[in-house]
Amino acid sequence: MSQANLATTTALVRIRGLKLEASTQRGTAHILRGVDLDIGRGRILGVVGESGSGKSSLASCLLRLLPSNITHLGGQRRVRRHDLLKLDDTTIAGWRGKRIAMIFQDPMTALNPLFTVATHLVDVLHRRHPGISRQDALGRARAALVSVGIADADLRLAAYPHQLSGGMRQRVMIAMALLVEPDLLVADEPTTALDATVEAQIVDLFEGLRSKFSGSIVFISHHLGLVAQLCDDLCVMYGGTVVETGPVAEVLSKPQHPYTQALLACEIDSDAQGGRLVSIPGEVQDPVAPHMACVFAPRCAQADARCRATVPALQACGAQRTVACVRYGELG
Amino acid sequence: MSTARPPANSALVELKGVSVVFGGKVRALDDVTLTIAQGDIVGLVGESGSGKTTLCRAIVGLTLASSGEVRLNGKSVAGQLTTNPLAFRRQVQMLLQDAVASLSPRMTIGRALHEPIAIHSLPREEASSRLQAILKRLGLQADVLVKFPHQISGGQARRVGVARALVMQPQVIIADEPTAGLDVSVQGELLNLLLDLQQEFGLTYLLVSHNLNVIRRVTARTAVMYLGQIVEEAPTRELFDKPAHPYSAALLSTNPAIDPAHRTRRIVLKGEIPSVVNPPSGCRFHTRCPVAQARCSSDSPPLTDISPERKVRCHFPFTLDPARRPPSADEDH
Repeated sequence: MSQANLATTTALVRIRGLKLEASTQRGTAHILRGVDLDIGRGRILGVVGESGSGKSSLASCLLRLLPSNITHLGGQRRVRRHDLLKLDDTTIAGWRGKRIAMIFQDPMTALNPLFTVATHLVDVLHRRHPGISRQDALGRARAALVSVGIADADLRLAAYPHQLSGGMRQRVMIAMALLVEPDLLVADEPTTALDATVEAQIVDLFEGLRSKFSGSIVFISHHLGLVAQLCDDLCVMYGGTVVETGPVAEVLSKPQHPYTQALLACEIDSDAQGGRLVSIPGEVQDPVAPHMACVFAPRCAQADARCRATVPALQACGAQRTVACVRYGELG
Repeated sequence: MSTARPPANSALVELKGVSVVFGGKVRALDDVTLTIAQGDIVGLVGESGSGKTTLCRAIVGLTLASSGEVRLNGKSVAGQLTTNPLAFRRQVQMLLQDAVASLSPRMTIGRALHEPIAIHSLPREEASSRLQAILKRLGLQADVLVKFPHQISGGQARRVGVARALVMQPQVIIADEPTAGLDVSVQGELLNLLLDLQQEFGLTYLLVSHNLNVIRRVTARTAVMYLGQIVEEAPTRELFDKPAHPYSAALLSTNPAIDPAHRTRRIVLKGEIPSVVNPPSGCRFHTRCPVAQARCSSDSPPLTDISPERKVRCHFPFTLDPARRPPSADEDH
């Protein structure tokens, strides 16, 4: 496994050779096929990829929230010199909600319908700061709601989730995550379920949070434009592997991996009218298929015999950038 | 079998002052006027709850207008539904948003595709051979026909939906979010197909989408909806270049561009879309509008022509002569 030349010196999380396999009726599914990734301290990392690329599984691995049919979980994930894989269940459970927090995709189902907003927020504070007084906790909860742009915070503290709109619920989720003051915040498609103008508000909120929040954020999205505007670093995933990483602006202006290039070509992002729209022929590789070659080779216009015979390792390609392509350097 | 098509540019679908009220309270559509010309591709954008789906349903006759009239080929949809509902439905077909869920899980794809032929008692030989030709055209292999919906991919399910619509030889196709849930790498393929079919079969489309890039690239005209009303209707390019309604401007500015050179200043609106049960007085957008004036909260603006091609529902559109605009509306648009 080659050493990825990322921002290693300041990495908060260091993932090497992360594999995730699950047993299914059709055989073993390779969900993550050896992921190498560094998450820089205090940076926002955007993880993009199509459905089935392993984005959400990666997030679940970071919190070690995995379904029971997982048969193999291997590799290294270090957070502050602790290997997450080696921590016992009690320890990792203790990390969740203290060092690591997550914002889920669907704000409609992530809040408990039986409890008020205040209960949700105060519970988080009790976990984070055992022994905190109720008055103090309520005060902080109220301040957190104000900081995420909720008007009438007192009114909303007493509200139940069903009384709030989708955007409001997502703000409550973000407030809960911020109260944790985590080292690592994982946001899995936090705006996908929201309408465009509300999405703009939440993205604005994330941008505003950057100055207040010192931890690292992993922002998972399938929306390249959103990631381009919000994130510092970019990680492009395909078929359970990381194919390219680097600073957002550089990866998007000079993509090195054929998949990143193809994905950008598919984006309808110009004034150009008429003309054919671009798509990538073929389908995403079946996760049950063995990992013997480059996962993108069957759909890659530039694949040759080597691509179909070897698994490309993530190699350095310029300052803080990596790419997993055996033909890197040959392709202009 | 197929009726002679009206000449291009004549009005094919007309909505005149259409309102749809559910349960006496929910005004899902409020005084909507829209004309779709033969051969046009019209886009419909707006947030959830703005009435896009109700508008689609009103055109295909699944929801009847509480007031106003929907016409197809100059004839009232309500009238056609009472005299000859099957003939009407053959002319207007809808592509449903969730293509997989729109197929019965207990029917093979082949049965699902042959069902409309039986329901409409089409001449079996002719319809079957037409279906074969359509399947071939859409790139669907014969082995798809014996499969069940859960055994095919999302892209294939969408093409099955297209085939099922085309076998009726419709004039108008209403496509509700045809690319929602599709990955970027395959959405281009589907849109190319829809555009090709429009040419080959002389179709007219109403395309609903959240994806502003898709609307911009594919449609000729676009209508923007807010709280059950059309707030702006214009040629797509003019709308994206210079939106006239403050809501259109805000909505279009939320579209994040990958290329920093294409980015515009994002206009972040206050609050959220109000409820249609109790819509704001006056202009429905005034509670969130960055340039609202006193008049906007009391006076409801009508949909007015600002040029032969453009209509806007606003007292102070951005395209207005700056001298006549109130000072606070004078932002950099």
